[in-house]
Amino acid sequence: MWLPAWMRSARVLIGLAIVLLIGLAAVFAPLLAPHDPNEQNLIATLLPPAWLPGGEAEFPFGTDSLGRCVLSRLIYGARVAMAVAVVASFGAMLLGGVLAHVAGYFGGRVDWLIGRVVDVWMSFPPVILSLVLMVGLGTGLRNVILAIVLVDWTRFCRVLRSEVLVVRRRDYVTAARLVGFSHWRTITREVLPATVPLLITLVSLEMGIAVIVEAILSFVGMSVSADTPAWGQMIADARQYVYQSSWNLIFPILAIFITVFGFNLLGDGLRRTLDVRLTAVRT
Amino acid sequence: MNAILLLLVRRALISVVILFFVAALLFCVLRLLPVDPAAMSLPPMATIAEVEAKRREMGLDLPLPQQFLIWLGQVLHGDFGISIHFRRSVASLVASTLPATVELAVIAMAIATVLGLGGGLLLFHVRGRPAEPAVDFGSIVLLSIPEFLWGLFFILLFGVALGVLPFTGRLSAEFQRPLVTGFLLLDTLLTGRPDMFWDALKHMILPAFALGIAFSPTIMRVLRSSLIDVYHEDYITQARLRGVSERRVLVRHGLKNAILPTLSLMGVQFGILFGGTLLVEVIYSYPGLGNLMVDAVRNADLPIIQAVGLTYCVVVLVINTVVDALYLVLNPKLRIA
Amino acid sequence: MSILIANELMVSAKLGGDLVPVLRDFSLTLEPGRVVGLVGESGAGKSMVGRTIAQMLPPGFAVTGGRLLFGGRDLVRMPPDKRRALLGREIAFIPQEPLSALNPVLTIGQQLDEHLRRLGLATPRERRARALDLLETVHLPRGASLLRQYPHQISGGMCQRVLIAIAFASRPRLVIADEPTTALDVTIQARIVRLIAEMQERDGTAVLFITHDLRLAGQICDQILVLYAGRPAEYGPARAVLTAPAHPYSRCLQLANPPMSGARRALASLPERMPGLAAYKDITGCAFAPRCPNAVPDCTRGAPPFVDVAPGHTAACIRTAATQAIAAPALAAAAETAAGAPVLEVSALCKNFLVGGMFSRSTFAAVRDVSFVLGANEFLGVVGESGSGKTTLARLLVGLEQPSGGTIKLTGQKVVHNLVAGQSAHDAQLIFQDPQSALNPRRRVGGIVTQSLEATGIASREERLARARSLLAEIGLPPETVTRFPSQLSGGQRQRVNIARALCATPKILIADEIVSGLDVSVQAQLLNLLIGLRKQRAFSMVFISHDLSVVRYLCDRVLVMFRGEVVEAGPTERLFAAPAHPYTRALLSAVPPDDPAGAWTPARFEPDGARL
Repeated sequence: MWLPAWMRSARVLIGLAIVLLIGLAAVFAPLLAPHDPNEQNLIATLLPPAWLPGGEAEFPFGTDSLGRCVLSRLIYGARVAMAVAVVASFGAMLLGGVLAHVAGYFGGRVDWLIGRVVDVWMSFPPVILSLVLMVGLGTGLRNVILAIVLVDWTRFCRVLRSEVLVVRRRDYVTAARLVGFSHWRTITREVLPATVPLLITLVSLEMGIAVIVEAILSFVGMSVSADTPAWGQMIADARQYVYQSSWNLIFPILAIFITVFGFNLLGDGLRRTLDVRLTAVRT
Repeated sequence: MNAILLLLVRRALISVVILFFVAALLFCVLRLLPVDPAAMSLPPMATIAEVEAKRREMGLDLPLPQQFLIWLGQVLHGDFGISIHFRRSVASLVASTLPATVELAVIAMAIATVLGLGGGLLLFHVRGRPAEPAVDFGSIVLLSIPEFLWGLFFILLFGVALGVLPFTGRLSAEFQRPLVTGFLLLDTLLTGRPDMFWDALKHMILPAFALGIAFSPTIMRVLRSSLIDVYHEDYITQARLRGVSERRVLVRHGLKNAILPTLSLMGVQFGILFGGTLLVEVIYSYPGLGNLMVDAVRNADLPIIQAVGLTYCVVVLVINTVVDALYLVLNPKLRIA
Repeated sequence: MSILIANELMVSAKLGGDLVPVLRDFSLTLEPGRVVGLVGESGAGKSMVGRTIAQMLPPGFAVTGGRLLFGGRDLVRMPPDKRRALLGREIAFIPQEPLSALNPVLTIGQQLDEHLRRLGLATPRERRARALDLLETVHLPRGASLLRQYPHQISGGMCQRVLIAIAFASRPRLVIADEPTTALDVTIQARIVRLIAEMQERDGTAVLFITHDLRLAGQICDQILVLYAGRPAEYGPARAVLTAPAHPYSRCLQLANPPMSGARRALASLPERMPGLAAYKDITGCAFAPRCPNAVPDCTRGAPPFVDVAPGHTAACIRTAATQAIAAPALAAAAETAAGAPVLEVSALCKNFLVGGMFSRSTFAAVRDVSFVLGANEFLGVVGESGSGKTTLARLLVGLEQPSGGTIKLTGQKVVHNLVAGQSAHDAQLIFQDPQSALNPRRRVGGIVTQSLEATGIASREERLARARSLLAEIGLPPETVTRFPSQLSGGQRQRVNIARALCATPKILIADEIVSGLDVSVQAQLLNLLIGLRKQRAFSMVFISHDLSVVRYLCDRVLVMFRGEVVEAGPTERLFAAPAHPYTRALLSAVPPDDPAGAWTPARFEPDGARL
């Protein structure tokens, strides 16, 4: 059976597997989680995982300082992580991608203006800007996604713009214009198919970054509200009790790492298989 | 030399304009906040009339552009306002915390550079060999661990499990911090206190490494891909045809060209790293700009948020300018003879 | 003792599990002080020889047979460090692309210094003195300031001189010049070739001169080896090979080259093309047989043996006696220029560009005061070297650039060119130079060719498909090409698709910007004959831009000569070529090597206001 190159790449397959697994966990959280993630159990606080002495089978990964089941919180935390990852990266891709194509294709003043806007935007270290945006917008899942879109679109824009410039210079784009195609048609039929591989790669890498940014924001307490479990928040809570229960710190760390690693592997695999120059075609 | 001066002047002018827009952006974003700075600066029992009076005093009833210009005018005079929470001048708060962050960032960047360049050379060296997939995989693993995870991991490993390094603050409690430049490592040496120097260094190792290791994989990968691109160029083949040794080809021809895009990236990374210090400072309770910012955010202390946000941008712009100047020095194609 | 002896050398490559010979039965003897030309089209294997000598074969390639001796020493079996000691000292290379052959971040002086240090000059002062010396021998003035400059700050011609200086610095015994002038302008080419000859004579160096240009080889080489599909076709004294070729391929190659002087004759165009690497293993017998006009069934029975046609002159053919009989096809009647109103009128056309950064703007006049008229069914050639403004002119004519002054009138109507579709967009069509970047790799040929129909949106899918098929038939490609992708076509085929696309809009004028440069001679001949055929069928006019004068002479009725944005001379082709009036035209024409290898080659110099050329 013939498969396209990207489907045969080990990296893509493994990365995709990891990502899908976590995605499924997020979607089916109510079915998978043993307990309600916010249910406090003040008698059984800071319990170690079930396989260590003192642990209980009822709480497979133990409990946190308020007696909440760590495993359940991890699974529900995946919801926030994946929601942010998918929606925010697509949003950033749309905003950055559209502006990149407009800037690269039309050039001249438009390009200059967009370039300057990107310059201003990028003078902020991303962490700082997202923090400031959250201060201004207020907490909540929607605002987190908005903040990430508003911060990361610049990266998309810059990287894609260089690619758009390269494609724009190719004669076949000029030829399309000469033959009478409108700008819109030329961009969508001639330029876009050439930049889509890079777009896809960037989106998957961006998903990993979005997960990290959300974790940072919830670590600082500026992400979703306190009654929604998020991995960064779990880390912030666990940090105070690091001597008593280091496991509470390890689990969310691992969760973040594995998710980001999955996205990075996927993105790297896609980059290697989709980035074929002119031969992106079945022979 | 002239070209560099010209560039610096141009960049300075552009930076000023950028800063203006950055300040405006900050200002607008923060005004979206549904928090009343006037009410925040008065005790909870204040009457509505007192709050109103305070609002007028703070100029909060004026139209937004006017407020911005007033603030701008104050900033140009060096007056960044008073912190609502700390009730101290913001300028003094920033001045006391900035050197700590700069020190941390510089050391972290140095670590990232050493690891990044070394790792990049290693990645390049193993290309085409059996070890490559493993090393490459390793670099992706490294890439997936952000600085705050490294920070936490180091605390767990070196602080809690092994207990060999401290992970809170800049200096152990028994020491009194000398105040000369604000850069602790420098100050301890200047005041002739080597024991304090070692203590400060020990406190800095974990946060600096957390940052440095986190930012090295990007540098590694860019150096590798730049070298691979450069090695496809004709002049490398020609050098070999002239009988130049592989080592010389790598150093004199390969690296000299590949370092340029790597340097560009490192400049960008330094800016992001500088922002990353915020997290590391929170994790290690390191008294720097980041901790100040986080406190201010938690307390909705607008003057600090504005000033610190602006400070971060100034630092990033300075870094960009320096990197651009360096790039100009190293890349003869940009010089107009 | 001979400098270089190749004895039935065979180089093979691992392609998809098979071992395919990319060079075989290669035998050659190079004596000191002699120049041997290695002539062949692209893909014939010419650069393999150079790589084998340097032992820098690409991964998967290896020497699998025969011997290669340098001064008696076996190059193939030599350990790498000994071979590296030879490179740059006794064996030197002159590259094809001078500008990219030098490290862009090191000055000329630094690179010379590195090489001289390798040659053993110990002190910086010695090296500097020698460097200045070397620059003088290659006629580069102001050596001291040149040493401080970077490669991108000097011209291609100057770069090549520096590279020649480096190559000859050690007085090597063997120099391999791999297409050293292909990337340079014609007037510069003549000088560089002269320079190489000068250095070679001075030091008694043996030179292996690799080129695709038969005329050039005839002028400077003592012997010529013609390579076809990895196997030598003919090997003998230069004059003999060119004036009385024994192998049909050599003869056809000659006939495919448009002549620069003498009576007009048609070009012999061979069908198909030289087999590519992947097809090598399927070859039984003579690789040239499928295209050979003299082929007989015996030719495919086994690889043709090397036959001695004269002392020192061999050919790999079993029917060498019949080669002379191959003649060019009959010259078709010249197309008549239709009388009537001109289709294109250009008057006082100017185009200025702003260059420089924020602080130092200046205007650069790419096109200055150009005026000409193009009649119906007329082919106008525009010749010039780099910087002459011919490409800018092409872009102005189709509307990709706005003129800074002057007017362009298309079929009598004054045009204000605006790229958004309009009548003018379809009356003048551009055929692009680079077939690689001119076709969207993600679209099928059928779709590419009927793009203009798509744009107007009138025709239905079936109509477009039918139109695509008929266009392809017109340009000589089989109808099943409609479903192929550009990556599956050869360079020549892609260029045909390019032409078909331009024809789809039934334009009155075609603007062809260097459409045959970079193509092999035999492919070029096919395309030129195609254009002539199309002209008869469709009656269109063409502005044919090229730097290759022989092509322009063959194809065009009238010629414009451009230099630095201006038209320095214009007139009917025959008159211009026979009796050029302007000194630049004379320099241009005399820079092309004559058809007859025995003829004298005296390139005239043209230096307007002491400009460095």
